[in-house]
Amino acid sequence: MPSKNKSKDDIEDLREALQEIRGRKGIIGYILRASDSASVDFEDPSKIGDYAVLAATAFEEGGNMANTFRIGEVSDIILEGVKMKMLFRAVGDHRLSVFMEKTVDHDLLCKDLSLA
Amino acid sequence: MDKEIYAVALNNALNEIRNVCPDVSCSFIFTKDNLVVAADEQAAEAIIEKTMHSFQTIEEKARAAIGGLTTLLINGKKGKASISSVNDMYVAMAASEKADLICLQSVTRVVVPTMLRLLEGIAPTPLKLAPSQQLIVDTLSGFFVGSSVEIDPHVLEQWSEILNVKKVDEVEIEAFGGKTTQCKAKEIGEEKLKGKGIIRIPEKTCKSLEVKKGELVKVKPLEG
Repeated sequence: MPSKNKSKDDIEDLREALQEIRGRKGIIGYILRASDSASVDFEDPSKIGDYAVLAATAFEEGGNMANTFRIGEVSDIILEGVKMKMLFRAVGDHRLSVFMEKTVDHDLLCKDLSLA
Repeated sequence: MDKEIYAVALNNALNEIRNVCPDVSCSFIFTKDNLVVAADEQAAEAIIEKTMHSFQTIEEKARAAIGGLTTLLINGKKGKASISSVNDMYVAMAASEKADLICLQSVTRVVVPTMLRLLEGIAPTPLKLAPSQQLIVDTLSGFFVGSSVEIDPHVLEQWSEILNVKKVDEVEIEAFGGKTTQCKAKEIGEEKLKGKGIIRIPEKTCKSLEVKKGELVKVKPLEG
């Protein structure tokens, strides 16, 4: 995954931006995970475990699939269900997972998070 | 239109899509039971197997978290890969980084379903693929044991119905170690062994498959 050299300030900026977008319509929640900590914010905490497992699997198996298809280092992974959509992206040594309703424009979201 | 012609038509369609969109480097279609329906010439077996395994792992977790997956998209530095749900199947595609994503999604979401619908309209019977089944090995030994395996009549009946054939009398057995073999199949004769998900395999075949009594094997019917 790209952008390995994100500074602490960049991550702090991202954390702030995540808090800002969290209140937006259609944003269900996010997980920003480092090797030894995680920021998690969901309206319904009962699903956090399932979301965290899905995020970890998506990063791992998405990387495996990128190797299989030889499409290079993964920039981002997007999963869509019937009603929900998820964006997974590595930001430095952090792993960002944003869960949202399908109607949310994730490209615009990336711009707002300064990830585009 | 039988299954084989259906698969040929889909294979040709995938190859044609690749001719029209040269940015598509590899594409294939598989069912929710992980059976490959069609694959273009660039989709090697190893690629298909690994992709289906990875996708299945993600899909299982997605089912628990969000109720299932309709689309997976991976943007890589050198290309893109996508898997989209189409009817009861998944269309997997890989393309270069230059690929027009809108075009690629149109191919997976519009062209392929349309093609599938057309084929289903032409075909008098829908596409039917008999799923492989996991059965427990029981060994057949003795002087008069031939080379045929014995399978539960209920399983054989189900396969006949799915494949729309009178009788399934040949199967492919795959051990979890990877060894495979094809055998003639007949119904289990002993009443007490029926309905237990057992496959009785001659000892010699067990040795070649490297399986023992009590282990699981994957069995799928072969059409004559």
